[in-house]
Amino acid sequence: MPSSLLDRLMRLLPHLAILAAVLALWELAVHRAWVNAFMVPKPSAVFDAFVRLYVTDRIIYRHFFITMYEAVAGFAIGATVGISLAVMSALNESFRRYVSPYAIVLNVTPGLALTPIIIAWFGFGMGSKIALAAVICFFPIFVNTLSGLLQQDPDREELFSSLGADPVQRFWKLQVPAALPIMFAGLKIGMTTALIGAVVAEFAQATEGVGVLMQRFSFQLNMASSVAVLLTMSLMGLTLYYAMEFLDDRLVFWRRDRGMARVARRRKARYLARVAAPLTKPDQTMKGRNAT
Amino acid sequence: MAMADHGTSLGLARSGSRLRVDRILRHMAIFLSLVLLWELGARSGWLNPLFFPRPTEILRSFYVIFIGTGNVWFHLYTTLAAVFGGFIAGSILGCALAIVVGLNPTVRRFLQPYIIVLEATPRIAMGPLIIAALGFGFTSKIAIVMLVCFFAPFVNTLAGMLSVNPSALELFRSLRASKWQVFSRLMLPDAAPTIMAGLRLAMASALSGALVAEFISSNAGMGVLIDRYTGSLNMASAFASLLTLTALGFTIFKAMELLEAKLIYWRSDAAMSRMSARRARAWARKREAL
Repeated sequence: MPSSLLDRLMRLLPHLAILAAVLALWELAVHRAWVNAFMVPKPSAVFDAFVRLYVTDRIIYRHFFITMYEAVAGFAIGATVGISLAVMSALNESFRRYVSPYAIVLNVTPGLALTPIIIAWFGFGMGSKIALAAVICFFPIFVNTLSGLLQQDPDREELFSSLGADPVQRFWKLQVPAALPIMFAGLKIGMTTALIGAVVAEFAQATEGVGVLMQRFSFQLNMASSVAVLLTMSLMGLTLYYAMEFLDDRLVFWRRDRGMARVARRRKARYLARVAAPLTKPDQTMKGRNAT
Repeated sequence: MAMADHGTSLGLARSGSRLRVDRILRHMAIFLSLVLLWELGARSGWLNPLFFPRPTEILRSFYVIFIGTGNVWFHLYTTLAAVFGGFIAGSILGCALAIVVGLNPTVRRFLQPYIIVLEATPRIAMGPLIIAALGFGFTSKIAIVMLVCFFAPFVNTLAGMLSVNPSALELFRSLRASKWQVFSRLMLPDAAPTIMAGLRLAMASALSGALVAEFISSNAGMGVLIDRYTGSLNMASAFASLLTLTALGFTIFKAMELLEAKLIYWRSDAAMSRMSARRARAWARKREAL
């Protein structure tokens, strides 16, 4: 374990060295006024801004969680609608035929163009941000789930029909497991898209949230703080993305050996418990029978 | 035999087209009844006409903004200029950089973490920063579109370059292909479908990028138009502008599809046979000349 940690550190070292060199060069470039400090803030200034936002003033947390909430709520709505519509279209061909044109129209419309209209509909509060996030993340989730459910492996189909599987079994044991990896790819895209929707809606009209903070700092020409907020958004994107990745890893365990081994171990333990249980139980039942 | 085949295939085609007409009619019927329901709902006050304008009202606004006052053309032109300018600059930059990076494994390895971070950042969020840096004009709009368009072609080109078929590469090596030949004859054609997918994604986000740039701060463009109409609660005109954008998005989508079929002809049979016929003709001409 320590050696692998050391290994990892050694591998990380050149990355860190390059990062430090780039930052130093950048700092120097701004310091010597090779580039305009106004447009490209110094790394040290960005760091100061970070400290101010996170430690001294602590104003970022509120905005951070508000935007996070908007993005996640919008994502939840968009994903629920997208997945249920996709399941309905996968199960019923005429439903698919009559719904898909509208889905395509929604897709070719740049979703962010809806921003002012959605704000007029849902008001200046959180509702409009959630709605925009939901509208925007709907399509990738819908389309990926649908194409996942519709893809067919002839061999598996044949196996299922020759074993006389009923439609419910086919759906849960054939279509859903085949669709999950593609669905999760869509969910990952949708997650980052939902964040974009929330932030853009905040740009358009809001009083709180990371987008507002970004806009405020930019218009005050406080570029260092703007960059710090931007990096915060990267952090949010990474958090959301890796949360989806984690879920993907847990649910679609059969794609990776590690996950497969984990589930196999758990199932083995459960199976052993079940097999071992009757070996200890008969004693008790015998006793019970004797008593009666 | 051939005649009979012709007959059946014609018959099939006829019934197929009738089925298609039927289907289209049914689609139309559903669409029209939805529109009618909306119209009735708005007229009866069941839907608030301030937020859900009547379809007839939207049609009238279409007439007004395209022909009556014709004010949409200027904004459409402004947005399109930003979209195409930014798209071309951003995607060329993205593809070129990916080719440079993709050919060098060390650079690739050290760039990887930055790519991941950039991928997770909502790129449109840099809008206010860029506007603060470059001003309120057209330049910052192009810069935002460029930024939005840069990433998808970059990542996809990189992925395409990396997924070269190893046995094909071995064949090229054993035939002593030069580096340039490996690149132009193997890597680029192999990566072309992936690159095209990236360009399509970029094109779709280019339109969004331009609109967001206009929402944040601008005085011309479709984003401004929609913002202004919604601000004055002229929802019918806002919807008409939005539907214009839908049509625009659809046109762009179809154009990219067409471009893809032309450029990557070896993926579709029809285009492949067309191309091979042209090459056969060219070859025959060359032989005649000899």
